[in-house]
Amino acid sequence: MKTYEDLAGDGGSNIVDQVVSQREKLRGRLDKIKHKISIMSGKGGVGKSSMTANIAGCLADRGFKVGILDADLNGPSMCQLLGIDNKEKLNIDKEGVDPSIGALDIKVMSMDSLLPSPDSPVMWTDDGASAVWVSTMECTALRELLADTNWGELDYLLIDMPPGSDRIDNIRDLIPELEGVVEVTIPSALSQHIVSKSITKNNNLGVKIIGLIENMASYICPHCDEEGALFEGDDVKELSEKKEIPFIGRIPFDPRISKKSQSGKLFFNDFKDSITGKAISQAVDNILKSIPNT
Amino acid sequence: MKFLCIPCDEQMQTQTDGIMPAESKNISLKFKCPKCDHSIAMLTNKFETEFVSKIGVEMGGKSEVGSGPMSVVGTQLAEGKEELKNAAPTESDLEWTDEAKARIQKVPFFVRNMAKKTVINYALEKGITTIDAKLMDEVREKVGM
Ligand SMILES: [Zn+2]
Repeated sequence: MKTYEDLAGDGGSNIVDQVVSQREKLRGRLDKIKHKISIMSGKGGVGKSSMTANIAGCLADRGFKVGILDADLNGPSMCQLLGIDNKEKLNIDKEGVDPSIGALDIKVMSMDSLLPSPDSPVMWTDDGASAVWVSTMECTALRELLADTNWGELDYLLIDMPPGSDRIDNIRDLIPELEGVVEVTIPSALSQHIVSKSITKNNNLGVKIIGLIENMASYICPHCDEEGALFEGDDVKELSEKKEIPFIGRIPFDPRISKKSQSGKLFFNDFKDSITGKAISQAVDNILKSIPNT
Repeated sequence: MKFLCIPCDEQMQTQTDGIMPAESKNISLKFKCPKCDHSIAMLTNKFETEFVSKIGVEMGGKSEVGSGPMSVVGTQLAEGKEELKNAAPTESDLEWTDEAKARIQKVPFFVRNMAKKTVINYALEKGITTIDAKLMDEVREKVGM
């Protein structure tokens, strides 16, 4: 009787070829993007997404071609932050889906780009699917958002990760050449406790940590530039020393940063010369310094 | 996974037409021996079905439609933009009613195109130009399990 090895192919489905061609398609996309960087936070609500948007704004302001993959599948916010109208039609061709174009021509692919209205929930058709299956689905969704988007040539692709450290192993598998991760935290003890777990996980996975950003480090009054403390908390710089990762930025909170971009502009680009704007620019300097060949 | 016809010592081939799975999570795949025409069914449960669906591969080989962009996300999102969903059945000159379109979309991804082909072939054979739910029931009756 014939054995497994005696039989050529799998009976007509060519599953191996299909998986190989999935990988090749992804590779073709990624090869046109010079640098890929993930932005993570341990906890939600630390301003990670608006930090991602403003870092992108700063890079675009310096003349780089920038894209953002909104990997926060269940809480997408990039379209709002970059002033992208949900009603825009999707342009789909054989090769892929065109990304949405936001402020400063930043290219965005987000679940929001795919939903019919800004209020539509991200829901999969398998009602009653278990957590494991939802997770498998999200993993597939990430691959498709990355591989099936017509990104074109980019200098930087920023990946806005969901809160926590759940999807970073997927991203690392999809993008082995990832430059690394920027961790965002706020001075509160709880946020630092959780970001510290995220740092440990990345270390275990062998994902490089570009550095730690302390967001909402203080409050800047937009009228008089007076600075005051927002959180009673531990020193973030101390955490970065303890974890032996670079401390790359201390960003004071400016209430204008979280305003929805209705003008299609980002905080950074409207207020580049504000204290917070300058701090973002400096964090970007530090990120670029950590990446070879930039 | 490969299937062997023991009497013929021959690899069984995935049967790419004549299948019409229910829009459920338990589906069957047919394999046929090219020598003696004997066929067998592989039955999968909900988890096995979902698992294969989400890898984004298609049984019986990649199809034109299945190789379109965001083919899994586009069909698995409960609410998605029209443009995404439209990657659905448009090939050939046949009309699909909205109900028929919705039903074929519910067939698990990895066998959807085989099911589609089966319905289309049946319609062409009968000279029918509009595919509706009733026709799909007919096909199911004939070839389903
Ligand atoms: Zn046989």
